[in-house]
Amino acid sequence: MNLTSLTFLLFCIITLFFYFIVPKKIQWYVLLIASTIFIFYGNLTKFTFLEVLLVLLASYFGARKIDSEKGKKRTYYLLGSIGVILGILFLLKYTNLLLVTFNHLFNLFKVKYKFKLITRNSPIGISYYSLIMIGYLIDVYRGGCKAEKNIFKVALFMYYFPIIPSGPFTRYNDMKKELYEPHKFNYDALCSGLVRCLWGLFKIFVISQRISIFVNTVYGDLVTYNGFFTVIAALLFTLQLYTNFSGSIDIIMGVSEIMGINLPENFNAPFLSRTITELWRNWHITLGAWLKDYIFYPLLKSNFMQSLNKKYRKKIGRKKAKKIPLYLSMLIMWILIGVWHGGTYNFIIATGLLQFIYIFLEDVLAPVMDKINRKLKINPYRKTYRLFQMIRTYVLFSFSLIFFRAPSIKKAIDIIKSIFVWNPWVLTDNSTLFKAGLNIHNFRVLIIAIIVLFIIEKRIKKGNVRKQLFRQNIVVRWALIYMLILSIIVFGCYGVGFDPASFIYRQF
Amino acid sequence: MKKLLKSILFLTILFFLLAYVTSILWLPKNSISYFYEEPKNTEDVIYIGSSNVYTGYNAPLIFEKYGFATGMLTTPSQPFSAVKYMIKESLSYQKPKLYVIDLTQAVRTYDKFDENGVRQSVDTMKFGKNRKDAIDTLLKYRKTPKEEYINYYYSFLMYHNSWSSLSEYHYTGDTTYYKGYVFDKLRTDVVPCVKYEWEDDKMDLVEENREVFFDLIDYIKENKLNVLFVIQPKVYNTSADENSNQMLNTIVDVLNKEDIDVINFNKLDDFSLDFSKDFYNIHHFNVYGATKFSLYFGKYLKENYDLDDHRADPKYASWHKEYKRLEADYQELTGKEFKDLVKEYEKDYN
Repeated sequence: MNLTSLTFLLFCIITLFFYFIVPKKIQWYVLLIASTIFIFYGNLTKFTFLEVLLVLLASYFGARKIDSEKGKKRTYYLLGSIGVILGILFLLKYTNLLLVTFNHLFNLFKVKYKFKLITRNSPIGISYYSLIMIGYLIDVYRGGCKAEKNIFKVALFMYYFPIIPSGPFTRYNDMKKELYEPHKFNYDALCSGLVRCLWGLFKIFVISQRISIFVNTVYGDLVTYNGFFTVIAALLFTLQLYTNFSGSIDIIMGVSEIMGINLPENFNAPFLSRTITELWRNWHITLGAWLKDYIFYPLLKSNFMQSLNKKYRKKIGRKKAKKIPLYLSMLIMWILIGVWHGGTYNFIIATGLLQFIYIFLEDVLAPVMDKINRKLKINPYRKTYRLFQMIRTYVLFSFSLIFFRAPSIKKAIDIIKSIFVWNPWVLTDNSTLFKAGLNIHNFRVLIIAIIVLFIIEKRIKKGNVRKQLFRQNIVVRWALIYMLILSIIVFGCYGVGFDPASFIYRQF
Repeated sequence: MKKLLKSILFLTILFFLLAYVTSILWLPKNSISYFYEEPKNTEDVIYIGSSNVYTGYNAPLIFEKYGFATGMLTTPSQPFSAVKYMIKESLSYQKPKLYVIDLTQAVRTYDKFDENGVRQSVDTMKFGKNRKDAIDTLLKYRKTPKEEYINYYYSFLMYHNSWSSLSEYHYTGDTTYYKGYVFDKLRTDVVPCVKYEWEDDKMDLVEENREVFFDLIDYIKENKLNVLFVIQPKVYNTSADENSNQMLNTIVDVLNKEDIDVINFNKLDDFSLDFSKDFYNIHHFNVYGATKFSLYFGKYLKENYDLDDHRADPKYASWHKEYKRLEADYQELTGKEFKDLVKEYEKDYN
């Protein structure tokens, strides 16, 4: 079910209606029913049903056993349950990655055999709820939370419908109160949630979908559109991805807010970041937090990593030796982020290896940069320098996303090659740029929308923009909301000639 | 309670804002939009057809001369499959004594109708079952994929994109319509054409056209409607046109057998056109051809059907007003009096 479809709107209205009219004690059952309909909507087969059921059973019984058993048995139950969840996830999402790797190896060693790639329907949000349930099991194992005794409550926590399409990642301890406790209808929450949904729709329809027309045209015909076309497309794709992803999160958060359910924020104005490290602290925040808590820190503290630290301490010194397990843990974590983003190598490069290289270089080159700044008498706290850092971060991130957008590494390399065609006149000759799907009027709307986005993001960084909005007098407040609604309706890219917003992150 | 009132007020304002924006970001008014603006049960004749009708049949002139009012449900390249739904739609607003249906598009194969032809026919129709049925039928014959139907049911999905091409008439309405008759600078052009000699040979209709045609005949008979079918004069100059000529002869035969009135202007002895002066392109009359055709046809309708004279009725004041506007606009565009043109042609047809 597409988050921007009329079906989803209708689905939400019905869910909200029943959520608020049923007795408070059984409110969460409404959510469970709605979520079950949502996860299987248009995708109910015996396979998808079985896959969801298996993950649920593994999580439920695994957690109960971990809670009740003692000693090593707890570890076995933890590993067993995680094994089942990961097994299903890998089978459905990453088998092809493995088969492609084998095929490459066969090719390398001139073996003629080739594995056929498999196509199988997987339940939506499998990458999300699998990690959420692994987190739950680990939390129970660590004693961070008690295992839930009601399997239906576990089911709701696992696939609460707003988070299924594109997150955020939730923790059981944070969610149990939100999901199972009764919520009264709150008019202010309704208004605030609706405004957030509208803002998400604005990002998707006015910005993301508009950019996608240009990006699809350019990347679809690199012979005609190259040089500055490719540069602009690469820079714009980053915004397309962000507005698409964060826009869908806004809709999700808005719907939840209306029901009185608070979800963790997933973005915090990432493109105002001055380094890639900072950007990732503000981009897909809950994924980063999940990986840090359940992969990075356990790895870093593992006996193997500590032994590496000890081993090199004498050879290269304490400070440098400390960095070896750090970088190695980071590398593993980034590769996993890449793998999570998609079952192909281009995703591993885009959101994995390249991000690791950037962050590694930022750390290693930090003293060098300080020296250069001192020598050139550059004040790193000046606004212009901060702006330079933001632009640099944006450009580097955009470069990595070329691999994300391209269907294969080969295609990504073609895109990068096409950047080096010198055609600066496309920026100045008043018409060429506007032949790639977006005319001058659409470019104008896009620029204005991006400026609005930038202003709002800056304000979000400083505080709650919606609270500020609702503090305004009624004329200003309503005028702004009407402008938002009308701009989506008039300037949104939907309907004839546009595909319905397909969420770039939804496939994960 | 206060919050509820506030919400209602908010939604009411939003509704009006959306209604205003939608009215601008829509297909500019066409003859169907103007048809809805007429007071209920005031039209004596309803003329259904495509561009050759709205460029050829000057309804205000006919009213001024013969006193009966004609409603026009004419749109560019109107597929013949739309005719039944135009009649159905009109029945909710008017009780005409006569329906006039142009046959030009009855023989045009459905693969030749572009999206514009469909959209112009249905987009300005009021929302309702009839509109939906019309869309379903028109798209079925155009072989449009089912998933695209929604873009026709909710035309705003397309028209909201027209914000970048808004012109004055999106705000003011299209002022080139005069009770459905279209007149502007283009219709004063003269393109010399050669007269086509009508053939008497016949040819079977293409299956889909046959299906649509007989469905319409059944509907007319079922509802006991008084209908006059018309083949308007135009220049037929290709082999496809020749086929059209022969298929139209087949249709005339069927209508004669069914005892339904039909008139072929290409074969009338007492109606003469000057093909070197009366067209602005090979398919359409210019203002000169239209004036001749309207004077002749108006008289024919008045003499052959029992149509009232409303010229003295104050309820029909808008017809006089539109005629005056047409006269003024004609003078502005040509520097001549429209009255003089009418007088000149009246000699031939009165």
